[in-house]
Amino acid sequence: MSEAKISVQNLDFYYGRTKALKNISMDIAPNSVTAFMGPSGCGKSTLLRVLNRIYELYPNQRATGKVFLDGRDILIGGTDLNLLRAKVGMVFQKPTPFPMTIFENIAFGIRLYESLSPSALRDRVTMALERAALWGEVKDKLNASGLSLSGGQQQRLCIARTIATNPEVILLDEPCSALDPISTARIEELIEELRSDYTIAIVTHNLQQAARVSQKTAFMFLGELIEYGDTEQVFENPRQERTKDYVTGRFG
Amino acid sequence: MDDAAAGAPTASMNKVSRRFARIDAFFRNLTGFAAFGVLAVLAGVIVSLYFGAQLSIDKFGLAFLWTDVWNPVKQEFGALSEIYGTLLTSALAMLLAIPVGIGIAIFLTELSPLIIKRPIGIAIELLAGIPSIIYGIWGLFVLAPFLQVNVQPWIIDTFADVPILSSLFAGPPFGVGYGTAGFILAMMVLPFIAAITRDVFDGVPSVLKEAAYGLGCTRWEVLWHVVLPYARVGVTGGIMLALGRALGETMAVTFVIGNNHRISSSLFAPGTTISAAIANEFTEATSDMYLSALIEIGLILFGITFIVLLIARYMLYRMELRTGR
Repeated sequence: MSEAKISVQNLDFYYGRTKALKNISMDIAPNSVTAFMGPSGCGKSTLLRVLNRIYELYPNQRATGKVFLDGRDILIGGTDLNLLRAKVGMVFQKPTPFPMTIFENIAFGIRLYESLSPSALRDRVTMALERAALWGEVKDKLNASGLSLSGGQQQRLCIARTIATNPEVILLDEPCSALDPISTARIEELIEELRSDYTIAIVTHNLQQAARVSQKTAFMFLGELIEYGDTEQVFENPRQERTKDYVTGRFG
Repeated sequence: MDDAAAGAPTASMNKVSRRFARIDAFFRNLTGFAAFGVLAVLAGVIVSLYFGAQLSIDKFGLAFLWTDVWNPVKQEFGALSEIYGTLLTSALAMLLAIPVGIGIAIFLTELSPLIIKRPIGIAIELLAGIPSIIYGIWGLFVLAPFLQVNVQPWIIDTFADVPILSSLFAGPPFGVGYGTAGFILAMMVLPFIAAITRDVFDGVPSVLKEAAYGLGCTRWEVLWHVVLPYARVGVTGGIMLALGRALGETMAVTFVIGNNHRISSSLFAPGTTISAAIANEFTEATSDMYLSALIEIGLILFGITFIVLLIARYMLYRMELRTGR
């Protein structure tokens, strides 16, 4: 794939002395959903955290290798981390609304990089909330605290916040693990919808979810990338024995 | 399921459950007694202060609050200079200690390398443990002479021609005075603000910070828009605790305030505070009226502290309303 959005090459990752990722190489295609699955501790979340270098907040975490975003290595020094993270948005396992109103939660990120008129800002916030399928539920209480929403609504608020800044890549780190089935279904619909505009990478423990939402699936185990291919192929016709055991529920 | 276990509890289970109920009741009464004990003590303090101050309250009435006299010979008393000194020194202390304390907390939680985080943290806690008398003698014998010789003359000269500042920094450099007392107070409350703020900042969930950084925020933006708002209740609590200590601090202030019952606009002038006046004069209070006046200013200090707490509560309430939490 020559037109990969993200290209990971020989990536190693260390938590202190512990090697958490071992020589990972893979390409992530634009405008598609790539799912990462594997048992706990296999490194899938770690890999995601390398893609926007959020791991740098912690002094003893270190990545070596190359990660190209649009052909430019983001791991080299001198990369503008703020710009990188504006380009590569992230949604976390637990909903993380900021301690502000619902409106401000969305407007905050937009204001960081753009100065819009109040009405334009309002439009952008509305649009983001509509896309995240939350507008109908919050349009009458935009000035309520983001913390007053239910867990599922908070997570959709976080997704709205992420897409409001128009990133190119969205990283979803088990976005549904704390949610009920209905909220999960809504978020899966949303991922489907967002795929045409964004490059999405999702970490999930839920095999059915990976099968439902993604075009490509990566199976990881103990820090290694065991298998990576079209989702259909990985689930129905896995090449590796371990992948087969995992997707058929024999271990994991 | 076994019918006996589900339907009718056995005699031994009844016995155990009754014992649990007794222990529960005992524990509830014990903790309740402790809680109401606090209320009783508080009420007792107010009542005894009020009766102690009765003589002075009857004679001077409410005018005591805004009268600037303190004349034990003529038996005429007014609390204005003490109230002024108390509020001024505490305000100065807060002005100096809040930014520095929050700055320390920000450095320790967000910026400092791990290796120096702990030593500095421990040093701050040690600072909080220094008895106030130590601050007092250090203030009187080291800080005040230093300020008198090296700092105050320079400030007085520099601002001599600036309209408002010239009256703020006027008069001969005594060394002791409002400014020095405020400075010492700032040093004393700084560790409270720094330590509490640090703990509160540490309590901000790291996922929340990651989310903010993940949007492309700079450190400053994360701190200002996410960490501080999340922590503001705790930070305000720390500041109020510090203010409470500053208002009531006695020994250190008594040493460096100059103990002069006169109101001056100059920060370099000697003055007094409520607690310093009480500490200095209770042994000299030979007449009943004198003693009663001292107790009344104690009552006023009590009231000021209470009002500060009320204002703090109200501020927190408003902040919570604004974010709808």
